[in-house]
Amino acid sequence: MTNSMSNTEFVTNLVENQYKVLKTEVLDQYQIAFEVKKEDVHSILSLLKTSGWIQLSYLSAVDWIKDNEFEVVYIVFNWDKAVHIQIRTRLDRESASINSVLPIYPGCKYYEREAHEFFGIKFPGNPDYEKQLILENWDDIPPLRKDFDPRQYSDKKFSHMEYKNDFVNKDGKVSKQEAREKRFSDADKLRTGGKK
Amino acid sequence: MLSTKFSPMSKEEVDRKWWEIGDFFRRNSLWMLMYCTGCCAIELPPAMTSAYDMERLGMGPMATPRQADVLLVTGYLSLKTLRRLIYTYEQMSEPKYVVGFGSCTINGGIYHDSHAVINQLNKYVPVDVFVAGCMPNTESVMNGFIDLMDLIKNKKANGWKDYHERNDWYKANQKAALGEVKIHDEFHE
Repeated sequence: MTNSMSNTEFVTNLVENQYKVLKTEVLDQYQIAFEVKKEDVHSILSLLKTSGWIQLSYLSAVDWIKDNEFEVVYIVFNWDKAVHIQIRTRLDRESASINSVLPIYPGCKYYEREAHEFFGIKFPGNPDYEKQLILENWDDIPPLRKDFDPRQYSDKKFSHMEYKNDFVNKDGKVSKQEAREKRFSDADKLRTGGKK
Repeated sequence: MLSTKFSPMSKEEVDRKWWEIGDFFRRNSLWMLMYCTGCCAIELPPAMTSAYDMERLGMGPMATPRQADVLLVTGYLSLKTLRRLIYTYEQMSEPKYVVGFGSCTINGGIYHDSHAVINQLNKYVPVDVFVAGCMPNTESVMNGFIDLMDLIKNKKANGWKDYHERNDWYKANQKAALGEVKIHDEFHE
């Protein structure tokens, strides 16, 4: 690496020279994202690990329901160069499955379990990705999928408080809140001379 | 002629007297168990330290459920924490009281449509005092504790008796929400 080269340029050269990158996105001088094919993820991650990005900061997923795809995001971190690298890859939503990166980053163990629990993505290679981690005895589709309706689930499962009295404005007086809002808008009008 | 100085009391009367004496000492020396998984817990540091000085009411923190009188539930409870809360509540020695903080324990608060958070705490454990607000300010927290003391004085803090009497109802609610109350923890099995 020459001194004239910035950290993000160094990373871009490193990855793009060896792999076919579908899309490169430089988020800022400290963050860069590569969208790659599913087959390349593991070799890119091992390349990055040998180049100094020794820590897996985070692994999670995004549900792109209109494209019928999940996007798995690996964020790796270097303690010497201040660049976070995101490796993103798209999976088919119906049979979402990607091999575990456990041999490369052992810290992915719990992130993969979490991603499986909240999105239903399978991680073969991780011995206990199917065990429950955060949700206990979950009985519906994974909750962070976009087609899951949390309100419906909550109404079905947890009852709401029933109030005996109906707190409505019965005598037709202007409520305090409305009066306050009117006062504020009047004050605004005075301040701006009637203009918006 | 019967002595006017001593008239024998029935057993119920004697019990009631002893409970009144016990309640007097209990309400002036409440030990709290703080189940601080919600954000309302941030109201406890000013309430306990020199700003509002909870100790002038005779309240102090206790580390274990078996030695505590009051269970403070500060805010929202997910299903996972509710399971632990029920364990904790059932471990406490009687009489025991529960104070629910914030609107989350009353009707779900801002988490009313969440898949993970329960809406009504008093369906699962009996709650004696609710402190409303999101979050309640420290004055209302202190006021809630004084309310609890008044309830104990007036023999209205009967949540723990209710838990005995309507145990089936509470257990059915717990089962409906949790499926199974028993904790399966991979790190301890």
